[in-house]
Formats: sequence, structure tokens, C-alpha cells
Amino acid sequence: MFRRKWPGVAAGAALALLGPLVLGACSSSSSSSSTLTLGVITPATTFEATDMNWGNESPYNEAVYDSLVQASPTGVIEPHLATAWSYNAAKTVLTMTLRTGVKFTDGTPFNASVAAENLEAFQKGTSNNASDLAYMASATAVSPTKLVIRLKQPDPAFLTYLGEAAGSQESPKAWKSPTASTVPVGSGPYLLDPKATVVGSSYVFTANPNYWDKPEQHYSKIVMTVYTTPTTVLDAIEGGQVNAANTFDDTTIPQIKDAGFTVYPLQLNWAGLSLFDRNGKMSGPLGKVKVRQAINDAFDRAALLKDMSDGYGSVTTQVFPTNSPGYESSLNSYYSFDPAKARQLLAEAGYPHGFTLAMPSITSAFGETTYALIQAELAQIGIKVNYTDYQGSTIFTAILAPKYPATYFTLEEDPVPWQLAQFLLTPTATFNPFHSTDSTVAGYLNTMQTGSSAHAAAAAKALNRYLVQNAWFAPFFRPQSSFVADSHTSVRVQAGNAVPYLWNIEPKP
Amino acid sequence: MTEIAATAVLAPDVTTDERAARSHLARRFLTNPLGIAALSVLVLIVLAAIFAPLLTSYDPNTVSVLHILQGPGAGHLLGTDGAGRDVWARLLYGARYTLAGALLATVVAAVLGITSGLVAGYYGKWFESSASWVTTLLMALPGIVVLLAARAVLGPSLWTVMIIFGVLLIPAFYRLVYAAVSGVRNELFVDAARVSGVSDRRIIARHILTVVRAPIILQASIVFGIAIAVQVGLDFLGFGDQAIPTWGNMLNDGFTNLYRDPQLVVWPALAVVITGVALTLFANALRDELEQSARPRRRRRATTVTPAEVAAATVTPAEVTPATVTAADPVRPESGTIVHEEPSSTAQAPLLLHIEDLAVGYPQADGSVTRVVDNVSLDVRRGEVHGLIGESGSGKTQTAWSVLRLLPAGGEILEGSICLDGEDLSTVSSAQMRDIRGGRIAYIPQEPMSNLDPSFTIGSQLTEPMRVKLGVSKTEAKARALKLLGQVGIPSPERTFASYPHELSGGMAQRALIAGAVSCEPDLVIADEPTTALDVTIQAEILDLLRELQRELGVTILIVTHNFGVVADLCDRVSVMQKGRIVETGPARAIFADPRHPYTRTLFDAILDESQARGPYAESRSA
Amino acid sequence: MLTFTVRRLLYGVLLLFVIVTLAYLLLYAAAGNVARTILGPTATQATVALKNKQLGLNTPLISRYFSWLGHALTGNFGSSWFTNQAVTTAILTRLQVTLTLVFGAVIVSAVVAAVLGVWAALRGGWVDRLIQLFSVLGFAIPGFIIAVFLVRFFALGTHWFKPTGYIPLTTSFSGWVGTVTLPVIALSIGLVAGVAQQVRSSVIEALRQDWVRTLRSRGVSERSVLFKHVLRNAGGPALSVLALSFVGLLGGAVIIEEVFGIPGLGQVAVLATSEGDVPLVMGLVVAIGVIVILVNLLIDLLQGFLNPKARIS
Repeated sequence: MFRRKWPGVAAGAALALLGPLVLGACSSSSSSSSTLTLGVITPATTFEATDMNWGNESPYNEAVYDSLVQASPTGVIEPHLATAWSYNAAKTVLTMTLRTGVKFTDGTPFNASVAAENLEAFQKGTSNNASDLAYMASATAVSPTKLVIRLKQPDPAFLTYLGEAAGSQESPKAWKSPTASTVPVGSGPYLLDPKATVVGSSYVFTANPNYWDKPEQHYSKIVMTVYTTPTTVLDAIEGGQVNAANTFDDTTIPQIKDAGFTVYPLQLNWAGLSLFDRNGKMSGPLGKVKVRQAINDAFDRAALLKDMSDGYGSVTTQVFPTNSPGYESSLNSYYSFDPAKARQLLAEAGYPHGFTLAMPSITSAFGETTYALIQAELAQIGIKVNYTDYQGSTIFTAILAPKYPATYFTLEEDPVPWQLAQFLLTPTATFNPFHSTDSTVAGYLNTMQTGSSAHAAAAAKALNRYLVQNAWFAPFFRPQSSFVADSHTSVRVQAGNAVPYLWNIEPKP
Repeated sequence: MTEIAATAVLAPDVTTDERAARSHLARRFLTNPLGIAALSVLVLIVLAAIFAPLLTSYDPNTVSVLHILQGPGAGHLLGTDGAGRDVWARLLYGARYTLAGALLATVVAAVLGITSGLVAGYYGKWFESSASWVTTLLMALPGIVVLLAARAVLGPSLWTVMIIFGVLLIPAFYRLVYAAVSGVRNELFVDAARVSGVSDRRIIARHILTVVRAPIILQASIVFGIAIAVQVGLDFLGFGDQAIPTWGNMLNDGFTNLYRDPQLVVWPALAVVITGVALTLFANALRDELEQSARPRRRRRATTVTPAEVAAATVTPAEVTPATVTAADPVRPESGTIVHEEPSSTAQAPLLLHIEDLAVGYPQADGSVTRVVDNVSLDVRRGEVHGLIGESGSGKTQTAWSVLRLLPAGGEILEGSICLDGEDLSTVSSAQMRDIRGGRIAYIPQEPMSNLDPSFTIGSQLTEPMRVKLGVSKTEAKARALKLLGQVGIPSPERTFASYPHELSGGMAQRALIAGAVSCEPDLVIADEPTTALDVTIQAEILDLLRELQRELGVTILIVTHNFGVVADLCDRVSVMQKGRIVETGPARAIFADPRHPYTRTLFDAILDESQARGPYAESRSA
Repeated sequence: MLTFTVRRLLYGVLLLFVIVTLAYLLLYAAAGNVARTILGPTATQATVALKNKQLGLNTPLISRYFSWLGHALTGNFGSSWFTNQAVTTAILTRLQVTLTLVFGAVIVSAVVAAVLGVWAALRGGWVDRLIQLFSVLGFAIPGFIIAVFLVRFFALGTHWFKPTGYIPLTTSFSGWVGTVTLPVIALSIGLVAGVAQQVRSSVIEALRQDWVRTLRSRGVSERSVLFKHVLRNAGGPALSVLALSFVGLLGGAVIIEEVFGIPGLGQVAVLATSEGDVPLVMGLVVAIGVIVILVNLLIDLLQGFLNPKARIS
């Protein structure tokens, strides 16, 4: 389908071991006259740092802003504008030491009070990641180089967030500017050229001559061109109009390879059913474990992967990605395609003749095929699915109301367990509309949040096992998303993000 | 069809002539091979859609996990699509939805458009002005943008979208019907019918609906095609209703899988294109038949001259009454023309135009040739005014046109020669003929209004040939033109010079044409019934003008007419034509004094004289 | 002429006002979930509520309408809800792209249609039939199918033209030609088909007129008869066809821009209407309305020039 991906949904998980990982030489000198033309699949919602989105829009942010910390390609947090940091014992106070001598492009100096204001503005802003800073109670500048952040509760994902949109630093003078949303003022490696830029279709950046981290500046000019359909992306690739590009789907992978591009496969999301109503408030049957397990046994995951994703990706039964501490490969064999067993489980649960299940659909995003296939597989074990089709974002209102006991969706898999939990699993998580929980889950979640890293990892594993065995979800597979680059460009993909970070894209020598 | 095809729909240029409608249009349409072929294709497609269950055993919506993207072959006539659905089944059932949707849009547009057109055309006043306002509004909206917006509000249902699209296309029918109704309303016979008590509804039904029947069908077929195109376009953009099979959805699925299975796009594309082509051809054929049957016969009726008629026209010496035969009146043996001799007192001026044994005809499709002028010989001497007189269809205008070599399409000079000052015009090249026209031979047409280019001023039409033929500058040409306009009796030459033909009266226009004819100082002026189309008082003025010009400029005039009064007024010599032949010729006085040919006598007898129209009323005798 | 123009313009303004009001009411009926659309699924309800407030969706419809109208009359159309770019800037930068395509198509079509129509009318026979065939096909094949075909063969097959994007004339002439040629061809084909037919029948009709014979009798050259007189008379109906198809061209441009990835008004229209980006859609409605009204006025004036009988005295 020709619709653009939801921003943020594809922000997420593991780096697959498929595909060559080209470790380009970290050249310390920026190539003096090289241009990167990058194909992106969504325009920038805004350039105001406090409202910017990450994920598919991360290149825009990375071009013009610095964030407090930086994540390595494997997700390890490294210094950037913050040079050092530490938590207190309770993990509720984060003290950060900030770099000196950094100036924004309008001459304003960067310091801790600027950082504090940026953080507070982001928290109150309208980025779709504004909730990243939900646990932040306050941010205070103790000295020009010392920033103290107080948290309401421990947040194991907090530092990760500070390496993304939440940690972006914008010049305070720009906040009041009426052009703030289209002309950014940051301290980052590039400057937006407003005259050459056509908002919504082509953004032009030139190298910031005064950038403080020159090793990360690899091009003298970057052009980000927006493509709205897979066909136009392919046309641009075949026509030699881009050096590297984000893609919509796998339908044109073979053609892209034929054009001489390298495909960097990523698995950032999981596709499958979220069986929200685990307590049976809306759908009695779904409240029963055996019913949910039966649903897990009803799907031929391998066939679905082939039909819905052309075989690109890998089957899974768990919502934790492979590079998450919570992942356990043996769990993938917990369920298999066994409609007979499923029917038996249903009978044991008291539904020998099946039941009716209402679910929302959004055929404009996922296509009619997907829903037809799901309906067919469930019909085989006696469950009749009735869809109601929605347009655009009205489906979220319906899902989150909650209006339906279950739904099909493609959701992000964050490698940081707490990030995943905040999105899917905690009682207040956005995608836990029935606020389901029980004492076991609550226990694991608590350890994940407050425990040491070892304990937290173990708790994540245990939680994962529990979720699979109790069939909170019925995942089908992790679809592959691809980032592609030509032979003149070397790329290091980013764990959990659809687009590699800009400083990890370099011209090949 | 393209969205741009909307143009044809909104510019209803179809003839709404009642004659056209009544002339067995359906039967004539059936003789048009392309139209029949197109109609058959359309009927076939509709039948296939209706009988879909008989033509395929597959359900178009059944998804099959294991069989996606299979090529044509075992079990699946055209293969399967991206969800394992049978392509042939989707094509057939898709035809139902696609065609039904387009039909819905067409019906909505037609019903609303026709009724509002009828009401507005017949009752006029405020309804008409508000309707025309709404029409302009609807026509200003770009269809696809409106449909996208409507869809965002109302959801992707095919039926909703098609209804809204139908509303957008109301102007197509409204304008057509309104034009027809307001045209007919002004016809006198409608008033007559009203006076005799026929109800409005009956008038509308009988007269108006008959007229617009065929154009409505024409519009409907075009609108139908556009509705399909718009549907397909929306589906292609991904905005269609995904749950039902339509050709547009199939195209979309095909494009999504373009690289995995390229042949998937072919079938729905073919379906759309074939339907579109069939609709276009059907509409074209219908329009051709309408226009043909409506066109009044413009060409002057060419009379066929048969041998019997030739014999009848030839006068044998035995039929000539003895009293009028003198030794000095020979009968030309071949043509049978009666020639009156000149009075020997007049000096013979040199011969300017000498036509000898001219035959003009129109080759027919079946190989025969219809002769309109046969064995005609004519002499025009310098300085004289020669009248060529006869009834309509006698071939006199055809003769005149032959001299100019400006016969209508299909006409040819079959035999004979036309010599101007000794030079045979029938053998001269086109470029030379062009030089001769206007410069040596000039033409004054019959109907002034239709003989002036409506898009150019009188002045420009006067000066353009002058600049070409005389090589004068623009200012010089204008000066001459103004002088000429004054000479032909136009009171304000400047104003006429700047006027367009439709701003002048018939008389003024004819004077301008005369001015044009003499502008390049021709030797011979051929005047084709120059006064027939004018009011009686103006006729006299024009004749005076011609006489004056002839005296002043010394031009030779060959005047074609059916009016003896004109002949008596102007002509020195006369030739009488009947059925393509000259039956009598000679000095005007001689012929007036002594018409010898029976036909000439009939013509004279037909002139109204002083005798009573009828005798006194006689009482019927009782037995 | 002046009063005619002024009267038409006023009429056009009234029309625009009606269209704009209807559009606004229609759009806001569907704007309920736009905050969620902008933010995506991962944002919390709290953020969504905040966004709603920021967009002003909590105030009554009528006051919002008058507020928008008031701003619009001063030339301030607000900013896009999805890209935060000023609507006027967004539309003006894209307007020139779409107008280049549309007017390019009009000019190319006019010239090609005139040539084909005259040729078909004069030659008749197989030339006429061939051109009729082309007309039928051009009419019947949807534009985007032609467009995709063009991209496949001429852009990617031969590399003569660019498959996507748009390079402005001011940047590079060859680049501009490379990106503009195929879209203009795709847009023109349908139009040429219709106009050529009209030109053909008008030329045939004109050649049958009496005044053609009279002109010839004056010794006017065939070339002048044809190109000066006949074409002038045939131009009127052809111009009508062009005028009516202009609106259709705008719709066609929407699809062509999608296929070629051209950043024009059409592309933005699709995106904005599907997302419910109200300020941008309203700006589009106004822009398109103004274009249509002005073009219709222009064509009416042109008609008056070509056909003296149509002039309003």
C-alpha cells in the first residue's frame, strides 16, 4: 500500500545479522566537496526541536541539532554534548556534566540552563515522543556545566531518550522566532538552506563551518528528498537520483539490488495480534488463557511471513526483539501451526463452536489482504472475525478507547526492555488500553524498573516468558524494513531505528 | 477515459434539431459499422458482468494463503493476485461494481440535470439564474480534489463517492437540456400548441424530449466513461473502497506487485481501456449520425439531365411558329439553342468571355456522373451586361462558378472550354487562376452575410486582397477601400471599415462586397443573383449601383438571375438556361419582344400582369 | 470590455466565497482526529489533548471560521498542521510547479491538436483515420497508465529523462526539460485527443462556408485562407474545449504528480486532504478557485477576441 509509515511505529529493535554490515573507516576529515542525497519517506513535521519526531524523521533532527548523549550503532550510550553523568543510588537523580565552548549557529552559547529549558519545553511540547520525558520531575542548572535532572520514578530508558529527540538542543533565541518551525537554529553539523529547500519535498543542508565535532561531519552538502510511494523511491534509485534511501516496504527489494544498491535489513517492528482484553471485560472468551493460546496456534506464521511480507523478516512468538536482554529464542517454538490443537483448546475453554470476535481494520494502511488472511486463519478454528474499517488516525481513537478487545497491528520492538514496557506492558502504557496487569507481571515490571542491570535483564526474560505462555499477544513475524545505499556510500545501521544516524553514513573512500 | 474527457461532456455541441431526431436515427445508427461494433463490445461486457457466476466458479473475495501471485494456468484462468484471489473472477465481479458505480454517477447526473434543465428552460426566470449559478460553481471544482475531500469526511464507500461525482457532473446534462428547451420554447409552434390548449407537460414530452433523446444518450455514454476513469484514478491513489472488487483496486494491487508479477496490471488495464474505447467509438458514431441527419442540404440540387429531357428542350424547326421564323434566325443544330441575331447597326465589341460546349458534373459514388451543365456555349462581349436567366437548379450558378473555377467539392469541368480574352481558363495553373481571380474576374455573391468572414472587419477583408494583388501598402489600401466604400454609396465609410459583418445590414454588406469585387479593377464581374437576398427597396438601389459602376469603370458584367425585371433593367444581352442547357440567347430587346423557345415563353407568362387573379364567382347551377 | 471584466471578477469573488465556506464546514466535520494523525500512535492521550488545544480545535466552529476568514482576507492563511510551514509559502512554491505542467500541457496540446486537426481535415483518407484512432485511444486510456509507461520506457529505459522530481527552470534548463517533458506529455495526450477532434470538425465546417469561396474569388492565397481565416474561425470552439478541460487538467495533474513524484499542488492536495490538514486544504481551495476563475475569464476574453459576435458590448 502506498501509505507512509506512521512516525514512531517503526522506531525500534534489533539489528539483524543478515546483510553485510559495512564498517566504514571513521574518516577524521570531512570530504571537502561531496554531497549526500538521501531519500526519506516523510517530510519534517517541524524543525522546532521541542516538537520534533524521531524514527523516520530522525535525519532532519540529526542534521541540525546535537543531543545530550549519542547512541552507538548497537545502542550503547556515549557522550556528546554531555561528557559524563551518574545516577544516585535510588536512580531518581541524574547529574550530567556538560561540554564547554559549544555555540549555536546564532552565537548563543550552550550551557546547562539552556539544556534545562530545552528539556522542560520538550516535555510540554507536541512531539509524538513527548512522553519520553514523562517521568522527569525537573531539570535544573546547578552551574553552567552541571545539569541535575530529577525523576519521579526510575526510568531505565531515560538515557536512551536523551540521545534522541528529547535530548535535542535548540538555541533559546530561536524559540521566540516566528520561523522557528521551518528554520532551525542548532549546534549541529549542518545548516538548513531555506532558499534551496522546498518544504515537504526537498531539504538542503550545508556543512556547518564551526561544528565542534568535525569527525562526525562527512559531507559538505546533504539533500534529503521526500518520496511518497515505493515506486518513486525505486525510480529514483534506478535513475541514480539518490545515494541512499529509506524504503516503504519489501516489494521492490530485488529491483533495488539489481540497481547495484546494498540492502541493509532491519527488524524494527513485530506484526501480529494484540489481545488486549486479557481480563475478559469486553470479550469473555479472550479473558481465558486457553482461548488466547488457541489463537496463537491457529496461525501458519511461515506462510503469513511469505504472503504478507514476501518472506522478508523472521517469524516470532514474542514481542521482545532479538537484541533485547528479554529475548529467548526457545520461546519461538512454544507455539506452532496446529489448528486441531487450537480447536481442542477452545473446546476445553468452553467454546467448542468458536465465537465471534470484533476487530478494527485499516485497509488503507495494511491492505485488504492482511485482514483477509487473518480472518481466514481464524475461521479455520471456528472464530468468526467481524471487521470495522477505519480511516486514518480514527483507528487509534477506537483502539485506545478501548472499543475492541483485540486488533492486528505492526508495533515497535524497542531493544531497551523498559522502553518496550512503557509502550506495551505497563498498566498505563499507551497500547495497554484495558490496563491489564496481574501480580506476576507487576513484580517483573518493578524489577525491570528499579533493579540492577543484571536483575532487570533477568526480569525482562522472565516477563517475556510469562507473556508468551499467557498469550498476551499473538505475534506473527518481524517484518524486515530496509535501508539501502549505493556503492559509494558506507553505512552503519542503528539498533532500533529505521534510518542510520547521519554520522554513520559516509562516502566510501 | 481521461478526466480531461470532461470537456466533451461540458461542451454539448450536438445538434438538437427536431428533424434529426425524427429521422429514424436508430435505424441509421445501425448502419454505422464502428458504432455497432462498439455497442456490441459494451453489451458483451455488461453481460459478462451480469452472468459472472456462470463464467467463473471462484468467489472474488476468497483469499488463499497458499496460492498468491500465481500465473495463468491450472485452475486459474488468469492467475491469482497478491492475496491469492482469482483474477478472472475479480475481473468479472469487478466489472459489476465498476460499471454499477459509473451507472450510479451517470443516473444521478442525468436525472438531476435533465429535470433541472427542463424546468429552467421552460419556466426560466429565477430558477434559471440560480441553476446557472450552481452550474458554474460545480464546473469550477476540480473533481478529484472534491472527491478526496468528500471521502475524508464520508468514508471510502464507492456508492457515496459516485453519487457525489454524479452531482458534480450535473452541468453536463443540464446545459444540454436547457439549450434544447429554451431553443424550442421560442419556436412559434409551441405558442400555437399552447394556444390550442395543449398542456405544458405534453409540449415538453412531445417536442422537447424527442429532440434531446439522442444527445442525452451521447452525453450519458461520455459521462459513464469519465466516471469509470475517475473511479480508477481514485483507487490507484489508494483511496478506493478496498473491500470490494473493482477494476481500480485490481490496478492498484497490480501496481503494488508490479515487480513481483508484472502481468497482473495487464488485465484490469485492458478492461478499462477496452471499455473506454468502446464508449468513445459509440459516442462518436452516434454524434456522426446526428450531425449527418441534421445538416440541411446545403448543396444546390443538381439536376440530372436525361436524354428525354434533352430532346424536350431541343426545339425542332417544325415547332417554331411560322410567323416568327425568318431566314435570319438559325437554330444551332447540336445544342438546339435559339440565337437571336444582333441588330446589324451596333458595332460588335470584342469578345471577352467565350464559353464553348461547357459540361460540368459531379461524379457519384457509384461511378455515374450527374451533369448539371451540359453543352453550354455563351459569349460575353466587352462592356456589355449579360444576363443569365433561369429557374433554380437550371445550372446558371454552376456555370458562373466554373468560370471562376470555384466549383463546390466534387464538381468538375467535364468538357468544353472557357476563354477569357482568348486564354483558355480550364487549362491554366492554380497559381495563375488565383491571379486571374479578383484581378481580372470578380465575383459578387448572392447572400451577403454568409459571404463575409465573421471574424474579420470589413476593412481587413477589403484591404487584404488589395495588398496582395496590387502590392500597395496598408495605408494606401485603406485609403482606396474608404474611397470605394464611398463610391458604392455607404454613408459612413470609416465606421463600416471598422465594423464586423454582423454589425451591418444586408444592403450595406452587399455594397461592401460589391466594393470588394471592383477593388482590383477587374475586366469581368460575375454577379450571382446580387439582389435576391435583399429587401425590394434595396434591390433597386443595388441595381442602380451596378449600372453606375458599369458606366464609370467600364466593366463587363455577367449577371445571373431568375428575375426578368432585373434583366429588363440592366442587361444588354440575355441567355436563358433550362436544366443545364442554354435554350435561347440574344439581345435583350429581341428576346423580350419575341420569345421563341417554349420555355422562354413559359417564363414570360409566369410574370404577373394586370389580369385578374380569378374570374367572377359563378353560382353553382342547380340541377 | 472593462465592465465585463470587472463584473466577471466580482462574480468570481462571490463564487469563491461560497466555495470556501462550504469547504471549511465540510473539512471541520472531519477534523476530529487530526491531532492523533499528526502525532501518531505512540503519543499519549495527554499529548493529543495538548495538540488539540494548540490547533484550536476546542473552540466553536463558527468562531473558528470567522477567525480563519479574517486572517485570510489579510493574506494570512496560517501554517500547515503537518509541516508547520506557512500555507502561503507552501502553496506559492508548489503553484509554479503545477502551473508549469498545466500550462505546458495546454500550449503543447493546442499546437499539436491544431496541426493534427488541420491535417486530418485537409488530407482526409488514411491520415484522417489514423488521427481519429489516436484521438480515441488518447481519450480512452487513463492518464496514469500512460504516465507509468512513459517512466518505464523513457526515463528508466533510455535515461533521456528523469523519472522523478522537478528541477526549476532557474536552476538548470536541461534539468528542467528532463523533469518536465514526460509529465507534460502524459497530461497532454488526453487533451490533444479532444481538441484535435474539435479542430478537425471546425475546419471542415469552416471550409464549407460561403465566405471561403468569396475570399478565394478575390484571389486570396490558400495559405492565408487556411491559416488566417479558417483557423481563426475554428479557434473559437477549440478554445471552448480547452477552457472546459482546464479544470480536468488540474485533476489530472494530481495523479501525474503522484506518479512522477513532482512537488506540485496536486501532490500536496492528496496528502493534505487525506490527512485533514485543514489550513493547507483551505489554502488549496482558495488557490485553485482563484486559478479557475482567472483562467475562465482569460479564455472568455480570448473568445471575444477571436469571435466578434461573442463580444459583450
